[in-house]
Amino acid sequence: MARHIVNIVVIWVVLTVLGALVLTLDYLPVIGAEYSEEFDGIFRLLAFMGLPVLTFVFAWVGYSFFAFRQRTGESEGPAWWGRNWVPIAWLAVTASLAITVMIYPGLTGLAKLQADPRGYGWGETGADLVVKVTGFRWSWAFEYPEQGITVNAVQGRELVLPVDATVRFEVNSTDVVHSFWIPAFRMKIDAIPGRTTYMVVKPVATGSYAEDQAFRAQCAELCGLDHSKMVLPVRVVEREEFEAWVQQMKAQ
Amino acid sequence: MYALISIASGVASGLIGFYVGVGLTALVRVAFGHSPWDAQISITVGYIFGLVGWLMGIGMWGAWGREWFGLPTYARKAPGWQRYFVFNSDHKVIGIQYLVTFVVVFLLAGLLAMVMRAELAQAGNQFLSNDQYNAVMGLHGILMIAVAVAAVIGGIGNYAVPLMIGAQDMAFPRLNALTYWLNPPVALLLLLTPALGGLETGWTAYPPLSVLTENAQLLFNLAIITFGLTSILGGLNFIATIIFLRAPGMTWGRLPIFVWSMFVASWLALLFTQGFAAALLMVLLDRAFGMSFFNAEAGGDPLLYQHVFWFYSHPAVYIMVVPGFGLALELITHFSRKPLFAYKYAVGGLLGILGLSGLVWAHHMFTSGMPNYLHGPFLALTEAISIPTGLIFLSALGTLFMGRLWLKTPMLFAMAVIFNFALGGVTGIFLADVPTDIHLHDTYFVVAHFHYTIVGGEIFALFGAIYYYFPKMTGRMYNETLGKLHFWWMFLGFNVTFFLMHWPGILGMNRRIADYPSSLEGVNLIISIAAFALGASFLVFVYNMVVSWVRGPVAEANPWRARTLEWQTSSPPPIENFPAPPVVRGHPYEYGVPGAVHAIVPTPMPGGAPAGGAK
Repeated sequence: MARHIVNIVVIWVVLTVLGALVLTLDYLPVIGAEYSEEFDGIFRLLAFMGLPVLTFVFAWVGYSFFAFRQRTGESEGPAWWGRNWVPIAWLAVTASLAITVMIYPGLTGLAKLQADPRGYGWGETGADLVVKVTGFRWSWAFEYPEQGITVNAVQGRELVLPVDATVRFEVNSTDVVHSFWIPAFRMKIDAIPGRTTYMVVKPVATGSYAEDQAFRAQCAELCGLDHSKMVLPVRVVEREEFEAWVQQMKAQ
Repeated sequence: MYALISIASGVASGLIGFYVGVGLTALVRVAFGHSPWDAQISITVGYIFGLVGWLMGIGMWGAWGREWFGLPTYARKAPGWQRYFVFNSDHKVIGIQYLVTFVVVFLLAGLLAMVMRAELAQAGNQFLSNDQYNAVMGLHGILMIAVAVAAVIGGIGNYAVPLMIGAQDMAFPRLNALTYWLNPPVALLLLLTPALGGLETGWTAYPPLSVLTENAQLLFNLAIITFGLTSILGGLNFIATIIFLRAPGMTWGRLPIFVWSMFVASWLALLFTQGFAAALLMVLLDRAFGMSFFNAEAGGDPLLYQHVFWFYSHPAVYIMVVPGFGLALELITHFSRKPLFAYKYAVGGLLGILGLSGLVWAHHMFTSGMPNYLHGPFLALTEAISIPTGLIFLSALGTLFMGRLWLKTPMLFAMAVIFNFALGGVTGIFLADVPTDIHLHDTYFVVAHFHYTIVGGEIFALFGAIYYYFPKMTGRMYNETLGKLHFWWMFLGFNVTFFLMHWPGILGMNRRIADYPSSLEGVNLIISIAAFALGASFLVFVYNMVVSWVRGPVAEANPWRARTLEWQTSSPPPIENFPAPPVVRGHPYEYGVPGAVHAIVPTPMPGGAPAGGAK
């Protein structure tokens, strides 16, 4: 029996190392905002925490498949009922793992995301720039109230943001439920009729849809016919370029 | 002939009922000065009358309805295969009716998945327009949900539970028949949705879209409210059966683990299904009468729907997967030839899931714009549910260790459940965790996750159980080589398809879309090819089942040397299951215990029962 335990542990360790090598690959999208780094860190942490759990089950089931097989079904195994310390130890280990993940990175990560417990969205309460987002079937409109401009699928045709500025999106819908999502920023919030939701992001790198398709404002909640086409490009630019773009939009 | 009369009279009285309903509606509407036809109201009233007509025509009138008027009842007698087409109250017939019906629905919905993967093999619209894609996707979703809810519970549960507890039938046999015959109208309505504009909202039917959309939505709502009724009635029946019809000596501590899992799933179905029905009833009332439950301008709230809907639809995933766990543990213990490890902890795990599953629904709504303070509690409770689920793994892994694994097809499927669900469980943490969910929500990561839990967990268990019970149900043996071929083909196809699917989700491919960014093309092509391979594996299954059912070798009563009661009677069992009630003496899983006895089952006397027999 001890021999089998040792074998399973060896396979477990080997699988975990192999899995960890895979997890060091670059499988995440481009980093567009401050929160993207936070998300990537938590994602990688959870992946490394989940990996040994997964490989434990794989090693155990896989080893049993090869080591404990019989051909005829005639012989019977030892009558173990598990009425000993094993289930208690199992319960203790799994419960501590679950509670650990719940607290860190779960609740601690959540606390960073939500500055206002009674609000309907993500991030800090203040911002350098406010953009009012309106979802409708099947496109977006972005209003910059301080700059006095509006862009949509006809006018401007892209969402332009200055780099290193905190942007507060105030999100609404005029018809059905949509969801405002920018994959490069790793954040989404639903656009619902009758309630203003928000998300606050801080772009940390310039980029555009032309360079990387993760820079796009995508509807992520099924909204009918042209849901899959409800996309507008996003472009993050330097401050001066943003000001120039604002002037250009005003001139139109 | 009997089958034809039964179905024809059901259809005819269903149609008569429909037109009576539509006519009555027209009379009332005209009397109050409206046009005779209003799609929402006329179809709804017509459907209600049509449904009653269908049930009465299929045989409920003769077997049940006449009793309400003091008339003698009768049952249509149908020989051989024709008994599957009448209002038959034998739980074994109903189990097979359910199983065959939902395997057919599964294959049909699987074909729809093939159509979706063909469209998604490349970016851009290949051969489906956006609304066609939505219709195919919505129909695939709701049909598969129906399969996941009803195939194991209605099929395997109906067939096996009364046998496993030593009962002659379910507690309410006629109610059981009614539960089954409510299903064909559901299937008909859902399959008619493409004719009325196609489903636009997916199976989740979020308003306001579901209030504004085409009349396909109306059929969907009527279908799901009916389907909810079958789930509630079925749950009630199982609970009563398991509490009151256990054979003498079948104490709660000796109950086979699959029966325990059915008990838990039945409570979930009974307690929560009304949430889905209520949510869709509100959508229906919004559509028909402008009640404005979900119309923000008139004081309603779209988020109300999501809460009521997920209040059912999260427990629903446990209605699906808990019987899958039960089956996996059941098969693992019989084919490991070893007692079920930590039986009481496994039961505790199932009950723990029952307790927690009603408290986690809003984790589907982390990005919905619900108030921020709700996120923490739902995050914590959702991750807590991994603790009882872990006990199922303890039991499975403990049973496998040092077992004498008899690797027949059912056992391969049962081991795959544990393997697949491990991945489905781990990816669940990313979705329960708000900081990761706000990116991953509504992406292909979610699609991969729930296919790992529901297909990997429940549908693999379903196929394991189909092979396991095939000899009991048909009296014939399936082809083992083809069974194993099906398993490995399906296992590899499934894992390649759905493991890869996590990646485009992380990269930013949202779900329920006909088109996606061109940078995700390569991986989607590989997923599509793997999905076609997965789909093709079911050809082996269908061939094996059909050929073996017609001319497979005759099966023994107990080909698996299993100790539970269903294997202690003939294959297939007589109509009353056991010649006389069995008496249970010990635990069902006492493998490796010399001289252990689970139950004493009276053997039938050759030439009929003895005079004044035990019955």
